[in-house]
Amino acid sequence: MKNIIEINNVSFHYKGSDEGLLNNVSLSIAQGETVLLCGASGSGKTTIIRLINGLIPHYYPGELSGSVNVAGHDIKNTELYDLAGVVGTVFQNPRSQFFSVDTDGEIVFGPENIGLAPKEIKNRAAAVIEEMNLKKLMGRSLFELSGGEKQKIACGSVSALLPNIILLDEPSSNLDWGAIEELKKEIKRWKSEGKTIIISEHRLWYLKDVLDRVIYMDNGNIAGEYTGKEFFAFSDSKIKELKLRPVKIEEKFMSKFSSLSHESVNKQEPTDVDSIELKNFYFSYEKRPYIFRKKKLTGADGDILSLNIQELNLPKGTVTGITGKNGTGKSTFLRCLCGLEKDCKGEIISGDKIYKGKSLIKISYMVMQDVNHQLFTDSVEAEVLLSMQEENKAKCTEILDSLGLLEFKDKHPMALSGGQKQRVAIASAIAAGAKLLLFDEPTSGLDYLHMEKVASLLKELANSGSTVLVSTHDPELIELCCDYVLQIDEGKVAGLEKI
Amino acid sequence: MEIKLDPRTKIYMIFVVSAIVMMSATTPLLWALRIIMTMVPIMLLVVEKRYASALRFFALYIIAIILIFYFLSAESTGLIKALLTGYCGIVAQFSPAFITAWYVIHSTKIDEFMSAMQKMHVPDGVTISLAVVMRFFPTIKEEYGSIRDAMKMRGISFAGGNAVKMVEYRLIPLLFSCVNIGDELSAAAITRGLGGKIKRSSVVELKLGVLDYALIFLFTCATIVFLFQKYIKP
Repeated sequence: MKNIIEINNVSFHYKGSDEGLLNNVSLSIAQGETVLLCGASGSGKTTIIRLINGLIPHYYPGELSGSVNVAGHDIKNTELYDLAGVVGTVFQNPRSQFFSVDTDGEIVFGPENIGLAPKEIKNRAAAVIEEMNLKKLMGRSLFELSGGEKQKIACGSVSALLPNIILLDEPSSNLDWGAIEELKKEIKRWKSEGKTIIISEHRLWYLKDVLDRVIYMDNGNIAGEYTGKEFFAFSDSKIKELKLRPVKIEEKFMSKFSSLSHESVNKQEPTDVDSIELKNFYFSYEKRPYIFRKKKLTGADGDILSLNIQELNLPKGTVTGITGKNGTGKSTFLRCLCGLEKDCKGEIISGDKIYKGKSLIKISYMVMQDVNHQLFTDSVEAEVLLSMQEENKAKCTEILDSLGLLEFKDKHPMALSGGQKQRVAIASAIAAGAKLLLFDEPTSGLDYLHMEKVASLLKELANSGSTVLVSTHDPELIELCCDYVLQIDEGKVAGLEKI
Repeated sequence: MEIKLDPRTKIYMIFVVSAIVMMSATTPLLWALRIIMTMVPIMLLVVEKRYASALRFFALYIIAIILIFYFLSAESTGLIKALLTGYCGIVAQFSPAFITAWYVIHSTKIDEFMSAMQKMHVPDGVTISLAVVMRFFPTIKEEYGSIRDAMKMRGISFAGGNAVKMVEYRLIPLLFSCVNIGDELSAAAITRGLGGKIKRSSVVELKLGVLDYALIFLFTCATIVFLFQKYIKP
C-alpha cells in the first residue's frame, strides 16, 4: 500500500527544553493504517504527532533536521492552514480545544476557516451530526458539557474537515468509562472509512482490536515495533518492563467501573479497622427559593439531590478508591467532604470528635485535578508555611523531607513538574493538619511510572495515619494502591467493598 | 414571540446610545428621547426572557430618574442629597449604554458576531481577536471559581487581611492557567485552519429584517432630533 506519511531521519530539539526531543527517527505509515504511539511521558510521542500536523516547526519552534512528508505535502514548506483539510487532530484537554462557545459553531468552525461555501458547510455539519449521533448535543453551550461530551464535539469538529489522516493526542486522559467506549466507537468508525489514524496514548486497554501497529518510543527513539496482535499478547511482565500501563485489566477491577445493578447495593463496611463515620451528606445544585432561612436538605428530597448519603463508614488509615461515571456525584461528594459546599450540613465523626461546617475545611484537604489552581506563593517552602497556623520552619523541613521535596524548597512551585506540584499540594495539606486527604483524579494523563509513584505516595500517606480518598477512572490505580472501593451512582452509595 | 436582531443593528444601537448619553439632556424633550432609547433595550431583554435583569435595570433607572426630577434640583444642599445627586447622575447618564451592551452581549452568538463583522469588512485579525475575548470570559469565570475554592480550602481567602496578597493569590494561578489554556486553544484552532489567507466563510446568513430597519430608523431619528434640539435651535 502507498505510504501516506513519511518521516525520514528526523531529529528535533525544542527551543529551551530538553524534554520530548527526537533522535534521528524514521517512520512510514501506510494509507488506512491505525497506529499507536506508546512510551513514557517525554519519550517523544507528542513530538511525532506535532510533526505530522505541522505544529512543529510552525507553532513550536526548535531545531529540526530531516524531512517530513504528509500526503504529498513537505511539512517544512507547507503553511498550517493548508494542512487543515488533510490532517485533523483531537487533543488531550477537552477544555482548551474548542474555539466557539456553542456546539453548532464548533462543528462548522473548521470548514468556515477554509472558506467553504455555506451550503456545503451545512451539508457536512448535518452529515457529521447524523453519523456521530450528536443531535442531542446541538444548540448547547460548550461550557455546560461534560468532558466526554466535549471530546465528542472535538471529534465531530475534526470530522467536518474530512481529513484523511486523524491524530489523537492522549484523547482519553480526561474521560470516564462510558466516554472511552464512545471514543473507541468513533475510532472504529474512522477506521472503517479508511482513514489513517495515529493515536498517542498511556491508557492502553481500550485500544485492543483496533490497532494495526504499535510503535514503542523511548527517549526520542523508536525502540520497538509490533503488530497489534503481538502487542496485546504480551505478558504482564513484558509490559511492565516496557514501563507501560497494563494492556489487560482483570475482570474484578473492570467491574468496579462498568454499569451497576441497582437492586443489590453491596455495602461491606469495615469492621476490622477503625472507621470514620459520615452522616447526613445531602446536597443539591438546584436552588430553591427561600425567604429567611434555607430549609435543610434531607433524604426525603429524593430526586433533586446530587448527593444523597445518609450514613457511611469509611475505613480509617486506608486508601479508598471512588468510582462512578462523570456527573454522578463523585466530585460533589469530595467537595462536600472538604466543606466547600456550605449548603451541605454533613457531619464527619472520627473517634469522639464531630466535625461539621467550617471545621470540615480544617480536617480535610482536596488535591485538585488541576493542581496549578492551588499553588499560590513564590517558593515551595513559603507554600507550606502559608498553611501553618504558626510558622514552624523545623516542621516544614520535616514535611518536605518526607515527601522528597527538600531540595526544591526555594524553587517556584510553577517551575516544578506535575508530580512535584502534586506533592507540594500534599505537603501544604499535611502542614495544615488535614487528616482526610482527597484526590480528584490524580493520575489522569500520567504514564505508568508516574502512576506507580502516585500510588506508592497514597499508600505511604495512609500508612502514616491519614485517610485517603481518591476518585479515579483508572482501574490500574485501584489495582496498585486501593484497599477499598466506593462506587457512587446518582449521588448514592452503590457499593463499598474491600479489594 | 421571538425577535432576532441583526448584530449590525445591535452594534449601531450601542454606538448611538453611548453617544447620546455623553451629551447632557437639558429640556424635557431631550429627557424623553433619552428615556425612550433606554426602554428599547429593556424591552428587548424582556423579549429575550431575561425578566430578572430587565426588572433590575428598569427599577434602577426609574428610581434614579424619579429622584432627579422630584427630589433633587440645582439648589439641593446637604450631604445625603449631594451623594444622591452623584449616584443618580451616574445611573441616569451611564446605565443606558450599559444596559444596551449587556443586552447585546447576552443575545449574540459568537458566530453571528463574526459574520456581522465580516459583512462590515472588518479585517479577520480584529474579528478573531474580539471573538477570542468573548470565548475567554466564561473560561476565566470557571478558572476563577476553582481558585476561589482552593483558597477556601487553605483558609487564605482573606490572606490575613493583606489586600495585596489577596489579589496576588488570585491573579497568579489565574494568569498561569489562562496562559496555558490560551496556548492550547490557539494550537487547536490553527490545526483547523484558522489564520489562513483564504477569506473565512460563515454559515450564519445575516439579513436585515423589518424590525432592524425600524430600530435603525428610530435611533437615527432620535439622534437627529436630539442634536437639532440641543445645538441648532437653542
